[in-house]
Amino acid sequence: MILGALAGGAVGTIVLTTGLRLAQELGWTRMDIPLLLGTVFSPSRSRAEVIGYAVHFVNGLLFSLAYAFVFAATGRADWLLGLGLGFVHALFAGGGLVNVLLPAVHPRMGTPWSDSQETPLLEPPGFMLLNYGRATAIVTVVLHLAYGAIVGASAGGF
Amino acid sequence: MRVDGFAAIEDYAVVGDGRTAALVARDGSVDWLCLPNFDSPSVFGRVLDAERGGSFQLAPTTSFESQREYVGETNVLATTFRTADGVVRVTDALTLADRSWLAPLRELVRQVECLSGRVELAWSIEPRFDYGRRAGRISSRAGHLVAEGGRTALAVGAWGGTEARATGTGIAGSFDLSGGESGLLSMTVADRDPLVFGTRAAAAERLQSTLEFWRGWSARTAYDGPWRELVARSALALKLLVFAPSAAIAAAPTTSLPEWLGGTRNWDYRYAWVRDAAFSLVALLRLGHTDEARSFFWWLEHATALTLPRLRVLYRLNGAVETAERELEHLSGYRGSRPVRVGNGASSQLQLDVYGSMIDALWLYADESGDLSAHEGKAIAKLADWVAEHWRCEDFGIWEVRSGPAHFTHSKAMCWVALERASKLAERGLVPDHRERWNGEAASIRRFVDERLWNGERNTYVRAASSDDVDASLLLLSLFEYDDPRGERLRGTVAAIERELRDGLRVRRYLSDDGIGEPEGGFVACSFWLVAALAKAGRVDEAGALMEELAGAANDVGLYAEELAPDGSFLGNFPQALSHLACVAAAQALSEAGP
Repeated sequence: MILGALAGGAVGTIVLTTGLRLAQELGWTRMDIPLLLGTVFSPSRSRAEVIGYAVHFVNGLLFSLAYAFVFAATGRADWLLGLGLGFVHALFAGGGLVNVLLPAVHPRMGTPWSDSQETPLLEPPGFMLLNYGRATAIVTVVLHLAYGAIVGASAGGF
Repeated sequence: MRVDGFAAIEDYAVVGDGRTAALVARDGSVDWLCLPNFDSPSVFGRVLDAERGGSFQLAPTTSFESQREYVGETNVLATTFRTADGVVRVTDALTLADRSWLAPLRELVRQVECLSGRVELAWSIEPRFDYGRRAGRISSRAGHLVAEGGRTALAVGAWGGTEARATGTGIAGSFDLSGGESGLLSMTVADRDPLVFGTRAAAAERLQSTLEFWRGWSARTAYDGPWRELVARSALALKLLVFAPSAAIAAAPTTSLPEWLGGTRNWDYRYAWVRDAAFSLVALLRLGHTDEARSFFWWLEHATALTLPRLRVLYRLNGAVETAERELEHLSGYRGSRPVRVGNGASSQLQLDVYGSMIDALWLYADESGDLSAHEGKAIAKLADWVAEHWRCEDFGIWEVRSGPAHFTHSKAMCWVALERASKLAERGLVPDHRERWNGEAASIRRFVDERLWNGERNTYVRAASSDDVDASLLLLSLFEYDDPRGERLRGTVAAIERELRDGLRVRRYLSDDGIGEPEGGFVACSFWLVAALAKAGRVDEAGALMEELAGAANDVGLYAEELAPDGSFLGNFPQALSHLACVAAAQALSEAGP
């Protein structure tokens, strides 16, 4: 099951990242996860994008392990449970992980506490990432549902 | 001196922390403060409604004279009150957080020091949350009085005077100080989170570190030309308007201060205009504040990403695009100037000049930093391509007229600037090379301007196609070097503007109908642009004389509003970024022109 979840995590992360990029290109959102993650390590946009893709991919694999833990605990692994976990995952990402935790540790991102002493390079995402465009919350939820369904299906076998 | 409870706009000074700003009147009353951010609803809004707006008053209980100044080159204000019995100084600041300690989300500190004699002062906080709609609930928590209104709460710490007491609608107290004694008030703020109660020592320490931060920041302002003091104050005012969490710059921290007393030109300026951001990037680059310039660059890039290549005129400070305009009918407005508006309906207008301002700023940034990624280069090329395709459209122009679109000369010239700068970047290999198209369209713009927007008989560019009027925005043709600033055409245009729009130091924007049909004051930015245009035209003495006059027209703490009334009083939102940006540009033009 773990290997299946990891394989699903790899595919799901690619789908999620590509979907986000597509949404950006279509003008639906300014959310750029590789940039947000990569600029933790480098202020250079091009370097940050490369690092960010790698970090996001690793994160995707790690999350799939967390999914596998839930599958093992419940004794059930299928696309439907994966879908449910994907929804929880999206709420966690938009409500806490990217909204609160990332700005708190990101050296180049503003926070509600940033004052004139700071010159951040990135605006904070806001609750459910809404600062990056109204459709961001929808895009985030839909793509995490897809991620969860893929991980669930892969872990449980098609 | 108040009229119907309202202080004159020039009687205000501003303190801020990069998230919000407070207007402090000469009589010690904080009459404007939105919490937690610039664009949040006001908690003190007396400047928009003397009865129900709310305020934080602190003043001697007997008659006094007051004198104010910022503490050196900082954004910390010191007001000295002289009474028959003594002299007392009040130091006001929105403090910056001490990162090593649990700091409040926002904090307004008011330190009182008796310099001589004996002075009794009274203070009262009358919060009116949500633009004056609610008085709030006063209660006591852990020995601190707290006022709550919806998601916002504030706690008051008072030391060195009587204990704070609840008054039913607010919190009040007093000081009775003799020479050498001091007191301190700290108003801490929470927004959807727990309040952090201050201690006297921590608040005093934050005030000190805030002073030190501003001094250090000003010391990095690399400008040693003429009017250094004015330029340094303008830089500080601009820094104060930068919304630190996102690096967006607010056009002003206020809404609906009128462009004419009793009029309806009352707009909400608590938004980030792309044009202002571009001007800010240029100004801060030239003043040596490269960190801020880089932040603006990233903000410009990110804020506009959703709509690229189409630019909105303005964005919310947090990057969102929703700016729907509505009226607050329960507020009286500044001295009866209604309506009071929040939100800004100009956001969806087509204003072609924004593209020129933005690409010019990006070009300067790339020129100074040599730093432009392939992604950014592509974005600039998209913008230039959009300009090449759309410059023939009518637009609403830099003044956001509500009389309908037109072919404005300034807009067309800025389209030319956009294409010319993009070509320069392509020449250096920094953006994809579409020069053939851009140069061709740039030449077409010049032909259009020559044929339809130049009036040979009057020897001036005109405001718009089919108009014989001039417009002060034409001064920017000189600043952006659309033409040779010393050439016959721009000299003729500057002369026409002086003749028709200038009245002493005041320069009107235009005389034509703009769809509102009400009078307005002289536009401060236009006066500074005239200084710059005169300096660039080689009329340095005249430019210097006008600059001297304008320096004298700032208020006692060196700040400008949007406009100047015929009697020298201030009109419009305050302090205004564009006025201070133009001030910096004028000083720099004079500095470059030499003695």
